[in-house]
Amino acid sequence: MTPKVGEEIPELVKHPTTRQLVQYAGAQGDFYEIHYDQDFARSVALPGVILHGLLKAAFLGQLITDWLGDEGTLKTFEVSYRGVDVPGKPYRCRGRVVKVEGKHVELEVWGEDPEGKRTTVGTATVELAG
Amino acid sequence: MAVTSVVERLKARVGQPGPAVSATVEAGHLERFVEAIDDPNPRWTEEAPPTYLVALVPVSMHLAEAEEYGKGWLNGGNRFEHFEPVRVGDRITATGKVADVYEKTGGSGTLLFIIFETDYVNQHGRTVARLRGTAIRR
Repeated sequence: MTPKVGEEIPELVKHPTTRQLVQYAGAQGDFYEIHYDQDFARSVALPGVILHGLLKAAFLGQLITDWLGDEGTLKTFEVSYRGVDVPGKPYRCRGRVVKVEGKHVELEVWGEDPEGKRTTVGTATVELAG
Repeated sequence: MAVTSVVERLKARVGQPGPAVSATVEAGHLERFVEAIDDPNPRWTEEAPPTYLVALVPVSMHLAEAEEYGKGWLNGGNRFEHFEPVRVGDRITATGKVADVYEKTGGSGTLLFIIFETDYVNQHGRTVARLRGTAIRR
């Protein structure tokens, strides 16, 4: 693998559902009601139940590890949640190489809602094998 | 006044390590997590995917005493540092602390930011990962 600065990595489109939010709440042990109780979510001024930030982080983690395969290791991974996302809409994960220094590669990664708004933005550093 | 005291009380906790919590990476739990994030990579039957540790040991994101401030929680962001792979059978001990507490005023009013930091150490005494999380009360 020879990443080049500016190169986009293959995108990953996820299709989160309310069912998945419940599954994720159980698997992570995060039972904050904004992720499965519509009335509660609206009572705190949200559009309805929203995706866990950490679920979106997991999607972006998959974006990176799918791209890396067994050709490198994910070292650091940082995300900021800039907007809320609701289930039932595709979530598009994308990334771009911003720096290459020998085996060390820096990526910019982000998740987009269907309107193209970057609701999660982040960076990652990977170390290539060999 | 009540609001100020919550912030002061939280600030007093900055830097103090919370209780160490240990858990073993079980194949069944890992499988449920991987199903929940819908990542079919066969590698995750033995090895933990990048964000798994948050599920293994609950990090005290929702600090009860902070709930006197504002009306809801938001997750501002997360930072994962990985030093070694985590595999099925590993015994992981997590120690968390509040790293920083501050208020910030923006267009939508004043928000309270709480930065959590958790270190994860395996059964060999080696730090496998460090997680930083930004929880926001609004």
